[in-house]
Formats: sequence, C-alpha cells, structure tokens
Amino acid sequence: MPQLAGLSMATATFLGIWWGHVGVRRLEARSADVRPPALALITLGLGLNLYSLFAPSLTVAGVCSIIGITLLWDAFELYRQQRRVIKGHAPANPANPRHAAYLATPNSRATTADLLKREPADPTLGSMQSSGRLGHGTSSD
Amino acid sequence: MNWAGIALGLFSFGVIGFGFVWVIRTEYHLGYLWWPYPLLAGIALIGGSLFVPSIGLSALLGIAGASFIWGATELKEQAVRADLGWFRKKPGGKPAPPLAGIIKKIGAPHL
Repeated sequence: MPQLAGLSMATATFLGIWWGHVGVRRLEARSADVRPPALALITLGLGLNLYSLFAPSLTVAGVCSIIGITLLWDAFELYRQQRRVIKGHAPANPANPRHAAYLATPNSRATTADLLKREPADPTLGSMQSSGRLGHGTSSD
Repeated sequence: MNWAGIALGLFSFGVIGFGFVWVIRTEYHLGYLWWPYPLLAGIALIGGSLFVPSIGLSALLGIAGASFIWGATELKEQAVRADLGWFRKKPGGKPAPPLAGIIKKIGAPHL
C-alpha cells in the first residue's frame, strides 16, 4: 500500500500555488475593490488553519494548513498584483473601474497588453543585452 | 490540538519562497531551457514519497516535489521577465541543457 500523504500534500501545494498565480490574477482583474476578496481570503485561510489544529489526521491537517497559509499569502498577493497592474507589469482590465482609473491617469504606465505573453529569447544564443533595464533583480513580479 | 499540520503548512510556505529564489538563480545562470530537470526531480520526489514508511517524511517529500514542478513551470515566465528588463539578464550565452533540441521542440510549460 503506497503512502499517499506526500501525494496529497503535493496536490495541495501545487493547487495552492496555481490558485496563487492564476486565481489571484483573475480575482484582482475582476474586483472593483480588492479589500472584500482579501478579507474573504484571510477569513478562509485562518479558518482552514484553525481547523487543521483539530483535524482527524495528519494528512487532512497538512492539506488544510497548506491551503490555508497560501490563501493568507494570496490576500497579500492581491495588493502586489494591483501594484503590478499600476506598473504595467500585468494587464489592466478596462472593464474594471479601478483599472480604468489607472489607465486614465496621466503618464500612467498601466497597459492592457500582457507583456508576459511571449516566447523568451533563446538563452543558448547569447545576447548583447547585458543587465536589466529596469529591475536589476529587485522586481517583485 | 495538533500543530503538525501548521508545521507542514509553514514548511510548504518556506519551500515555495525558496522556489522563487532558485527559479531566479537558475534562469539567470542556466536559462529556462533546463525546465525538464527540476520537473523530473519534482516527479521523482513525489514518486519517492509514495514509498517511504514515515507519513511525515512522505509529506515533506511531496511538498518539496510540488514546489520543484511549479518551479519548472515558472522558468519560462522568469526568462520573459529578464528579456523585458524587469530582472537582471546574464550577458552572453547560457549552457545548453542535455537534449536541448528535443526540449526546444516540446516548449516550456507555464501556469
């Protein structure tokens, strides 16, 4: 009989990360105000961690806590995503009034273009570009 | 009260945080074409977790394995960020991974 605890934790970790990337982007893009979804994520995250303290097995406790802690981080990530939209590092949704305001701001860097949707340059060919133009490793994206 | 679940949650959080670091470093030094190797390492760790008798060790292996798989999917996006100038880009060429020709044909996965 295989030990399924690791597979359960792996699934929870991967789904937590997936939601942290894809779900947070979608949620932020559709929310006129990020505070209500952030509050919902915090409540759910705390609830899952509380439940994990009393869960009937280590597997259930681990899965609940992994998801719970990633949801707590996702609440913070909503604000980071908002900052990325303002900086133009993530696409703005013009149908979202908050994003529309970013786009309408004079000299705004916000854009509807998804700059990450492209193929990277072939790293084995080398490049004359030396160091980063903007970030120098300090970007939060 | 059982704190083991919270400990696993915190371990997962730490491993994901470490994942961001190794993804940035790996992309900088080796390039995104190495993505199949952390993917295989992750699959091996999760596969190994099925056969260890200890539930705790199995859990740790599973979490680490999932983090490696995610990291493999993140390398391509990190390479684009470096191309855009949001992160440092290593001057000159990067070493080609073993089986680079096949890897280029497959295309890198991303979330």
